[in-house]
Amino acid sequence: MRKFLAIALVAAVSLAACRGGETATDDAGVKTDVGVTKEPCPEAIDKNKGCIYLGIISDLTEGPFKALAVPITDSQKAFWKRVNQQGGIGNYEVDVTKNIKDNKYNPQVHKEVFDQIKSNILALAQTLGSPTTAAILADLKSNNIVAAPASWTSAWAFEDVIIESGANYCIESMNALDYANDTYKPKSVLAIHYAGDYGDDAAAGAKIAAAKLGMTFSHVKTDSGGDKQAGAITEVVTKNPDLVILTVGPAETGAIIGQAAARGFKGRFIGTSPTFNPALLQSAAAPAIVALYEQSAPWNNWSTNSKGHQAMREALPGVTPSEGYTSGWVWSYPLRAALKKAVDNKDLTRAGLLAAVKSLDSVDYEGMLPTNAGNYKAGVAGQIKMTAIYKPDPKAPTGGVQVKDLYVGPTASSYTLDGPCFSKL
Amino acid sequence: MRGRPLLHTSYGSDMALFNTMSKKVAVGLLILVALALPFGLEDKWLSLLATCCVAAIGAIGLGLVTGYAGQVSLGHAFFFGIGAYTSAYISGDPDGRTLGLGQTNMLLWLPAAGLVALLFGVLVAPLATRLRGLYLAIVTLALVFIGQHVFGEWDALTGGTGVGRAPAKLELFGYDLAATDSIGTKDQKVFWVMALLLMVFALAARNIARSKVGRAFNAIRDRDIAAGVIGVNLARYKTVAFAISSFYAGCAGALLYTIVGFIEPGSFSLLLSVQYIAMVLIGGAGTISGAIAGAFFITLLPTITRELQPLVPFVSTEASKVPNIFQVETILYGLLIIGFLIFEPRGLFGLWIRIRAYWKSWPFSY
Repeated sequence: MRKFLAIALVAAVSLAACRGGETATDDAGVKTDVGVTKEPCPEAIDKNKGCIYLGIISDLTEGPFKALAVPITDSQKAFWKRVNQQGGIGNYEVDVTKNIKDNKYNPQVHKEVFDQIKSNILALAQTLGSPTTAAILADLKSNNIVAAPASWTSAWAFEDVIIESGANYCIESMNALDYANDTYKPKSVLAIHYAGDYGDDAAAGAKIAAAKLGMTFSHVKTDSGGDKQAGAITEVVTKNPDLVILTVGPAETGAIIGQAAARGFKGRFIGTSPTFNPALLQSAAAPAIVALYEQSAPWNNWSTNSKGHQAMREALPGVTPSEGYTSGWVWSYPLRAALKKAVDNKDLTRAGLLAAVKSLDSVDYEGMLPTNAGNYKAGVAGQIKMTAIYKPDPKAPTGGVQVKDLYVGPTASSYTLDGPCFSKL
Repeated sequence: MRGRPLLHTSYGSDMALFNTMSKKVAVGLLILVALALPFGLEDKWLSLLATCCVAAIGAIGLGLVTGYAGQVSLGHAFFFGIGAYTSAYISGDPDGRTLGLGQTNMLLWLPAAGLVALLFGVLVAPLATRLRGLYLAIVTLALVFIGQHVFGEWDALTGGTGVGRAPAKLELFGYDLAATDSIGTKDQKVFWVMALLLMVFALAARNIARSKVGRAFNAIRDRDIAAGVIGVNLARYKTVAFAISSFYAGCAGALLYTIVGFIEPGSFSLLLSVQYIAMVLIGGAGTISGAIAGAFFITLLPTITRELQPLVPFVSTEASKVPNIFQVETILYGLLIIGFLIFEPRGLFGLWIRIRAYWKSWPFSY
């Protein structure tokens, strides 16, 4: 019996060794490994081309950002369809429809669904959320999987595998405070934020800027859920700050602004980009939001005139405009540039794609971001620091009109990012 | 006693671990199948089966306190959480964003996870020994809520609600059990480890159940006053039941999240407890094999329903449409619990007894 077991075990060990990924080289001499096939995509336009599979992990059903995440995902489907219509990437087309998963904005679910798709994909076309993406970051790094984030935390500046676009929350809050300083001269700032790399990052930026501009700063953490904001609202009303920086979801924004205003609060609110959603202007809190709220944004909105914006509007006919579409579209450019570069380098393996990302010194955003954006080669120094300010307007297509075009405030321009901001809160 | 497996002439043979030859053979075959499975199955199935094994360890633990000793416990999720965080703390990176000691050896964090959970189980036990039925259920329910609050707010240890932290590392004396290498892929190795641990834990539980302690548990379940009268120390055995059950839950919590890959404090909710109650009830309360069968069944249920979805095309796979597969899953779950309670209170184990009885008396079965 013992002997038999030993033999079985040895056989087991030698058999087990047979599994594992392998690299292949296609007819054009491009090296590939995981997530790239010679067979055409399921919805291929040109059946002679191979297929690059990209994954999407987003907040599609019950999380706090579903109102933004669904348009982001639809926009990215349209983006990659347009890439395929324009001839694809080298001898390949791109599929982003087969590996779409819902993270419910929960880091644990995010990690679980990532494990389900990671052996099918070359890279992630979207990984929504900062704390959620933090849960898979170690995995991304050890497997050389490049990912386009749907979040703006400052930690991404320090990660090679994450190809972020636009200014991070930390810089965005600094710019928001510089703008408020010029416009409203606030003396006290309160940051209301989610826990983790999203909320803490913006609050830390506000803290750094407040210290520089001589304002008093305090912050309060809040959980997701419109019905869980009593603590935050009380904080606003009792502390009565001149300016409140919000880094939450749209449901919390509505609850906090509406109820704080109802209890007599007259200060200003500025929210980072994910806090707003045009549906808020149909809610009971709408008058308070129109009166008190402004929004910072890392790029200009849906109605802007640029080549990229125009292409986006043409690729998405008949949709109800949302900034989710704009964001999903902008975030996709760096991955397109990296894929093109990897094919030019004849190395479309995961490692090859990562190498291509590290060598990118600019990305063509078709005018949606300035020409110096997308310098991943320069690392942290290549970060762009521009923010625009919008105010709510029920008549505008996505519920906002521009107050201030993309700018860099004095605080942000003099600030050197030397580590993720959220660790400084 | 060849040919008469049910005739026992000594107490020892009656209480033996495998009291019939067929049991011995069946268990042997099962172990061989478990060893061989990783060569025939895809990695995603192996990962799921590894989860089943860990769930089975947790279910056996709950089975001991609820099925054997008859003490209803809704607090299993709390003990799961204690185990998960203890192991994550011991194995965590000392320089990371959450607390950690950097001791990644599994032989260290696994027993520790169980022991800390056991300690909490013993702390709760004095309440449990004075209560029973609904009142006990409420007290253990309270544990889950206290736990959820602490786990959600203690940022330094758990990362906090919506953020979470990395779980323990599956490592043995510096050898990474959860990394693909020449011995096997990650999922193959994890499955072997979890299957082996399940065997150890199941065997231990079976031995407890057939010993003096197990018989005391049964006496308490059937009528605690009567048990007290015949000399069973109620306080002591109820405490032992809670302690063992918490130990199992703590170990299962620690192991489960090494497979899941991440711990979010929201996971340790009442839903998790109810899931384990369902495993014990559907599997068959008061049996070890029932708890294992129930754990496998409940853990595989979502995947099975998803695989069967093409057979019922009117059920959508998209969460935005009605009816969708996720709703069917939830409904099925409830229906199964109700169905089993009404038609087969002995659970999956009871079904097995029926099948066995049918073939035993074949061709004269009725």
